[in-house]
Amino acid sequence: MLIENINLVDSLILTLLTLVLYQSVAWAQQKWQLIWLNPLLITIVMLIPYLLLNDINYSSYRQSTQALNALLEPATVALGYPLYQQLQHIKRYWKQLITILALGVVIVITVSFSLTMMLIHQAEIAIALSLKSVTTPIGITLTEQLQGDSSITAFAIMIAGFSGALLGPSWLRLINVRSDIAVGLAIGSGSHVIGSIILSKNNVHQGAYSSVALIISALLTAFIIPLLVPLLLPFFS
Amino acid sequence: MKNIVYTIFAISICLTAGKILYSFVGGLPASLYGMIIYCLLLQLGWLVPNKVHKANQWVIRHMGVCFIPAAVGVINHFELIKNHGYSIVVIIFFTTFLLITFIGILTDKYLTTKSKPAPTSKGY
Repeated sequence: MLIENINLVDSLILTLLTLVLYQSVAWAQQKWQLIWLNPLLITIVMLIPYLLLNDINYSSYRQSTQALNALLEPATVALGYPLYQQLQHIKRYWKQLITILALGVVIVITVSFSLTMMLIHQAEIAIALSLKSVTTPIGITLTEQLQGDSSITAFAIMIAGFSGALLGPSWLRLINVRSDIAVGLAIGSGSHVIGSIILSKNNVHQGAYSSVALIISALLTAFIIPLLVPLLLPFFS
Repeated sequence: MKNIVYTIFAISICLTAGKILYSFVGGLPASLYGMIIYCLLLQLGWLVPNKVHKANQWVIRHMGVCFIPAAVGVINHFELIKNHGYSIVVIIFFTTFLLITFIGILTDKYLTTKSKPAPTSKGY
């Protein structure tokens, strides 16, 4: 199917199919409380064979579902509310918190970007992997702004989320990091919302701290990455 | 219903302001300026947090569907995954644990004693 063949009906069908698939998986996840039943992941796993079988290429799909993509902007703005809520809680220790999280952001971007450039030699993939610790809407937005590949970002964010959320808490116990604030901030900055959901199930305090870390880290990343990538790029060209 | 309209209006105003700001100064993406403006207006009391709470939580709970069009782009990367899939997973895994370790140890050392009672989870 070529782009010029897209009509309103195709567009409606694809958008509706995407919505229905996503909502069904989200409903199933809520019902059975299974973390791996991630609506984003499962929807993509089901959609891709459908697109391949029907010979619909990515640019047609993307064109057809641009209504969904357009909602990404207002959805990102909506994150200003949790940001506002969390700011109320960190007033007493914001300096230490921001310093630690900013250092973490600088390190994770530098190491991810450099390793990817050394092993894969593609800047758009390196940018995508540098943004894998950020919450998905902000990760995708920043990747597109820096001309990285946002589909790789979306997957990298899921892998970072699952690996850190499932294995991170045991790893932290092993290296003797036990306080609620340390576990919460660490898992929140590494594994964003997925980490936050898993922590909240066992320990409300850890879950709350992880929410603080994920929103503040995302904001810090937005400020840091446009400055850091141009500094790193010359080393690999 | 009134609060839903209020929230939609608030978010639209902030997004528009973000777009205007972006067209003048560039820098961050427009939606991130919008997010900061939204947070600022809530903080200043120009927007009422209680009025946006419910509709805003709904948006956050359902926003995942907006990521699908971008994520399906992986359909064009089967070659990359075949060639570099392992490296990509190893890089993600390694850097995620590097970050978790770093933040965990630093927080344990410099923030624990000064930490205040845990904030309540707002369930997002």
